[in-house]
Amino acid sequence: MINNRLTFERDSRFQLSTGLMTMLFLVTMAVNLFAQKPEGYIRYLRTGNWAKQMAAVDYMSKQQRDRMMYMWGNRSEYKSFANLWFSPSGSKYEDSEEKADRDDEGYNWRKEEYTIMRNFETQTVHEVEYILGKTYIIDDSLHYPNWKILNDMKEVAGHICMNAFYEDTLKMQKITAWYALDLPVSTGPERLGGLPGVILEIDINDGAMVITADKVELKPLTTELDLPKKVKGKKINESQYYGILKKHFDERRAAEEPPFWSIRY
Amino acid sequence: MRKLTSLALLILLSLPFLLSAQNPSKVTIKGVVRDSTNAEAGYATVMLLNIKDSTLVNFTTTNDKGVFSFNAVRNVPYLLKISHISYIPHQQALQPSATEVNDLGVIIMKPISQALMEVVIKAAKAPLRIRGDTIEYDATTFKVPPGSTVEDLLRRLPGIDVDADGNISTQGKDVKRVYVDGKTFFGDDPKSVTKNLDAEAISKVQVFDEKSEQTKLTGVDDGTKEKAMNLGLKDEYKKGSFGKATLAGGTSERWAARGNFNRFDEKNQLSFIGYGNNINQTGVNWEDYGEFKGQNTFNDYDNGDFGFGGGGRGYYIISDGGMFMGSDRRGYSESYGAGINYNFDNKKTKYNASYFYNQTSQTLDQYTSKKTFLTEGSVLNNDTLSQSSFYGNHSIGTRFEHDIDSNNKIIAKANIKFSSNTNSNYQVQRFTNEDISPINSLSTDNSTDLGSWSVGTAAIYRHRFLKAGRSFALSAGYNTSHNSTTDSLLSINQFFTATTFTEQIRQLKDRATDATEIKSSALYTEPITKKWYWETFYNFSLSGNEANRQVKSLPEETRIDSVSVYSDNSTLYNRLGSSIRYSNNGFNAMAGVAMQQLKLKGSYLQDLNLPFIDSVPEIRRTYNNWVPNVNINYQLPNNMYLSLNYSYNVDEPSVSDLAPVPNSSNRNFLIEGNPELKPWRSHSVSFSYNYWNPASFANISLYTSASFSEDQIVYNQWIKTVEGVGLQTITKPDNISEGKDLSVGLWSNLPIIKTKFSVGVDGNFNIGKSASYVNDIRNDNTNTGIDFGLNFDITPSTKFILDLRGNVGFNKISYSIQKEQDQNIQNHSAYASLKWQFVKKTFLESSFNYTVYINDRWDFDRRIPIWNASVRRIIGEKNRFEVRLAAFDIFNKRVSITQTATSNYVLQSVAPTLARYFMLSLSYNLRGYEDKLSKNRMMF
Repeated sequence: MINNRLTFERDSRFQLSTGLMTMLFLVTMAVNLFAQKPEGYIRYLRTGNWAKQMAAVDYMSKQQRDRMMYMWGNRSEYKSFANLWFSPSGSKYEDSEEKADRDDEGYNWRKEEYTIMRNFETQTVHEVEYILGKTYIIDDSLHYPNWKILNDMKEVAGHICMNAFYEDTLKMQKITAWYALDLPVSTGPERLGGLPGVILEIDINDGAMVITADKVELKPLTTELDLPKKVKGKKINESQYYGILKKHFDERRAAEEPPFWSIRY
Repeated sequence: MRKLTSLALLILLSLPFLLSAQNPSKVTIKGVVRDSTNAEAGYATVMLLNIKDSTLVNFTTTNDKGVFSFNAVRNVPYLLKISHISYIPHQQALQPSATEVNDLGVIIMKPISQALMEVVIKAAKAPLRIRGDTIEYDATTFKVPPGSTVEDLLRRLPGIDVDADGNISTQGKDVKRVYVDGKTFFGDDPKSVTKNLDAEAISKVQVFDEKSEQTKLTGVDDGTKEKAMNLGLKDEYKKGSFGKATLAGGTSERWAARGNFNRFDEKNQLSFIGYGNNINQTGVNWEDYGEFKGQNTFNDYDNGDFGFGGGGRGYYIISDGGMFMGSDRRGYSESYGAGINYNFDNKKTKYNASYFYNQTSQTLDQYTSKKTFLTEGSVLNNDTLSQSSFYGNHSIGTRFEHDIDSNNKIIAKANIKFSSNTNSNYQVQRFTNEDISPINSLSTDNSTDLGSWSVGTAAIYRHRFLKAGRSFALSAGYNTSHNSTTDSLLSINQFFTATTFTEQIRQLKDRATDATEIKSSALYTEPITKKWYWETFYNFSLSGNEANRQVKSLPEETRIDSVSVYSDNSTLYNRLGSSIRYSNNGFNAMAGVAMQQLKLKGSYLQDLNLPFIDSVPEIRRTYNNWVPNVNINYQLPNNMYLSLNYSYNVDEPSVSDLAPVPNSSNRNFLIEGNPELKPWRSHSVSFSYNYWNPASFANISLYTSASFSEDQIVYNQWIKTVEGVGLQTITKPDNISEGKDLSVGLWSNLPIIKTKFSVGVDGNFNIGKSASYVNDIRNDNTNTGIDFGLNFDITPSTKFILDLRGNVGFNKISYSIQKEQDQNIQNHSAYASLKWQFVKKTFLESSFNYTVYINDRWDFDRRIPIWNASVRRIIGEKNRFEVRLAAFDIFNKRVSITQTATSNYVLQSVAPTLARYFMLSLSYNLRGYEDKLSKNRMMF
C-alpha cells in the first residue's frame, strides 16, 4: 500500500488528469453508496508528538515548556496504526499490530488493551481499556462531546469532510475533528464520535496528536463487529472512568508532573 | 376609562408573553432540500445547532427525495445547517415555531461549481478549506524551491492559473486584487505583490469574491463581484529569540560571567554561548548545554558499529558531552569558553554545525601518601606536588542526516579537534622505611608541551526493502589523530642509604604519535516470519599506530638509546556474525554467535630510519575466536520488565604488552612486555528487574551482574630497593585465571503521601576478587563493598521544597599476603537541600553536605561539613532580572580527598581547593525567570 501511494505521489503531476477522473469517479461512487449500507474498514495513522503534548500542559512553567520544544520539538514524533470497522448498526476501534514507523520493525512492546465498541441499535458503548496499570471494562450508554460545528471543508482519504471542534478541559485538549459527509455513521477514532459522519481526522492541540484515515475501504463486514474474546478487567461505567482520569490528572497537577507519561494521550 | 386603559396596556404588554406561551414546547421541523435546478438533494446532512455557540443538538439526513424531518425536538431557536458533498454548505437561523410543525418548505442549495469542485478534488494531497465562497490553500504543503516568489507558488496551486505575464485567474475570472494579511500592498497591481514577495513567507492563500470597487464606493450593491486573493503570512510565534546573561563578583577576587543568545524559527536554530570564571567551573551546566545544542542535544546512537555491542534501537546519546558538566574539585582554576551552534531541521533533512572553544588554567597543590607493600615490610612515600597546567581545545562538529525517500537514509558526520596542553610541575617524593628511616628523596621538575589534532568521520547508509522488516545498512568511517609532546625533565635523586650520594638527571623527551583507523560495517536483517528475524553483520577495521619517542640527555644532547624507540603497530579486525531474533507482544530475545579475527603486527626500531632493536623481534599474532551473545527483554503484564544479557568477550593483548621494549624513561618504574600473553576472555551475565506503578509512580529496580575471567591480563610486579635508583618497580603483564565480580543493587522510590512526600531507598553490594604476583608471591585481593542510601523528598507546596539524603558505605579490602594490611574504609554522607519562597519572587536556597571518611588502617578520620546558601530575588514586570547573593562553603572546610587501594599499595591524596567565598550576581533573562519553584525534576 505504501508503495502504491508513493508511486502515485511521484507521478502525481503527470497523472493529474487520470487522478482527477479517478477522484470524480470516487465522488460519484460515494454518492451512489448512499443507496447501499455505509459500512467498511478504516485504517488510521496516529502521529503523536510528545514534546507538544507536554507543552500543552498549562501548569508547567512556560520556561520548561519552551525549553522542551526547543530541544525536542522536531524530534519527538511517534507513529502507530489503528483500525476502525463500522456499519450503521455498530463500530469497533482497536490499535493495529501493523507498524507505522518502519524504524520500529523488529521490536514489539506488550500490547495494551484498547477496544472501543459502539452499538447504535442499543445505543451502548463497550470499552476495554488499560488505564494506569489496570484493565477496565467500561459499559455505558452512548455519550458524546458537545461538538461545535464549524464551516471548513477539506478532503481526507478521498472523502470530503467538514469540521467540528471540542475542548476537553480534563485532558487539556483542544480537538478538531473532520467528519465525512458521505459516510453517515456517527463514530470515529479513539473515544470520539457523535458527528453526522465518520470522523476521518482528529487534530489534538495543534499537532500533539493527529489521527488521520489513510485507508478507507467500503465493503460489507462479516464478523468484524463481533465482541472480542473475553478480557479480564474491572467493570465500571463511564462516570467512574472519568473519576479515575480526574484523580490522575489532579494528582499530576499537584505534583506539577506531566500527566501523559502514564496514560494514553 | 382609566381602568380600561390600564387593562389595554396590560394586555398589550403581556402580548408577547401570551403569544410565546402559546408556542408548543416540542416541535417537528421539516423541509425539502433542492438544488438551483430544482433537483432533489438526497442524502444531505441536516444539523440543528445551538444558536449561541454552534454546538450540535441533533442531526439527520435527507431521504432520496431530499426530505428531512426532526420530530419532537425542543422548540427553541436553532441554527439549521445543511451540508452535502456537491453543494456549498447552507445555514439559516430558526426562531421558535408557533405551531407544532415548522415546515421550512423548499431549501435551495448552491452547487459547488465545476471549477470549485475540481479544486476540491485536486486537493487530494493538499489541505484546502472552503469557508462560504472562500477557498483557502495551505501554502506550506506546496513545495517550491527556496527563493521562489509567490507567483511560482501560485502556479502550483490547483484551480489557479497564472499566465506568462503573471496575470492571475481562477474559475475563469481574473483576480483583481491581492491582499497581504488583509491589507493592500504596493498599490493596486496584484503582480507587484506576487512577483516580489517570497513564497517562504506565505502560510495560506485565500481566494474569494469581493464586491466591486464601484459597490464599495457607492455603497449600492450592483451585484457584480470580483475575484480577490489574500496571502496570509506565516505566524510569527514560531520565530523567536531568547538569551541570558549573568555577571558575578565575590570575595577573594572570585568572579564569573556567562551569557547565551539564541534565535530560532520552525526550521533553524542559531545559538551563541560564552563564559568565563575563576570558580572552578570548567564547562557549562546542563540547562545551558541543552539550550546551546537545541535539537541536536541528543542523537540516535549511530556509530555505525553494527552487531553485538554496537548499540541498539532507540538509544539516544548526548551529541557532544565534552563541553558540559565541567567542574574540577581540585586546586584552583580559571576557565573560558565560547561557541556557536547551528541546527537545521525540516524533517527530511537534519543538519548541524558547531564550533566550541574552551580553555582552563589550573594551579594545584597536592599531598599524597602512599604505602607500597614489599615481600618483607613496606615503603612509605610522601609526595608533594605543585603543578600549574593549561589546556585549550577548539572543536568543530558537523552532522548531516537526510531521508532520500521513505526507504533510504544517509547520515554523515565529522568532528575536528585541535588541542594544546602545557603542564609544569614540581614534585618532591620522600621514600622511607616503615620505621620512617629515609631511603631516598626524589625531586623532579618537569614541563610538558603537547599539541594535537584529530579528525573523525563516519557515514551510514540505511536501506529498507519493500518487505516489512527486511533492511540493509552500511557504514564507513575514517579517524585520525596526531599529537606531539615535548617533555623536559630535571630530577635530583638523593640517597640516604649506606653511601649518601646525589644523582642528577636532565632529559629532553620528544614524542610523536600518529594514529589512523579505517573501518566499515554491514548489517542485513531478514524477517523469517512476523515474529522471527535473522540478522547478519560484518565488521572490519584496520588501525595503525606510529609512535616515536626520542630521549636526549641534557645539556650534551646525546640520544639515550635505552629509552628511545620508534614503533609501528597495526591491528586488523574482522568479525562476521549472525543472530536470530524473536519479537512478540513484549518478549524480545536475541541469540547469536560471531567469529572474530584479530591480527596484530608490531615492529620496534631505534628511530625512524635506524635498524630494529636487537632484543625485540617483529611481533605478529593472529587470534581467532568464537563469541556468543544472548539478550532477552521481557515486558510482563502490570509494568514489570525483565532483562537478561550474556556476552563472551575476548580482549586481545595490546602490542605494547607483547613487546619487551623500553617504554619508560623512569628507572623507578620499568615495564617489560610478555610475548607469551594470551587474550583475556571473560563471561559477563547481567539481569535486571524493573517495576513501576503508573498510578502511584512508585518504582523499584533490582539488578545483578557477574563476570568471570579466564586468562585475565594482570600486571605482576617486582618491587625492590635498588642501590642508586631507590624504590624500583618492574611491571610485566601475565595471564592469570582468577578475577570474579559480582554486584547486586536495588533502587526504589515510593510515594508515601502522594505529591507531597516520597521515600527513596537504594542499596548496593559488590564483591570483586583478583590476583597478581608481587615479587613472585601470589596475592589474592578481595574487595567487598556495601552501600545503603535513604532519601526523602518533601514538597508540601511549591513554596517549600526539602530534599534529605543519607548514605552509608563500608568497604573491606583484604589480601592473602600481609593480612595486617587489610583495610576497612567507611564513607558516609548526609545531605539536605532546601528551597523556600518566603516572599513573592524571593527565594532562599541552601544546601548542607556532611561527609565522613574513615580508614582504620591509617587512623584516618575526616569529617567535612559544606554549607552553601543563597538568596535571590526576581525583579521587573516581566521577571527579567535576578539578583542573587550567595555564600559558598560557609564553614570554609572544602578540600579534595582521594583514596585508592590496590593489591600492593594504598594511597590517599589531599588537595586544597576553592573554599569559602561570597558572591553577588546580577542576571538578565530575555524570556524572564520562573517566579515560582518547580516541583518536578525534568531534565528539559
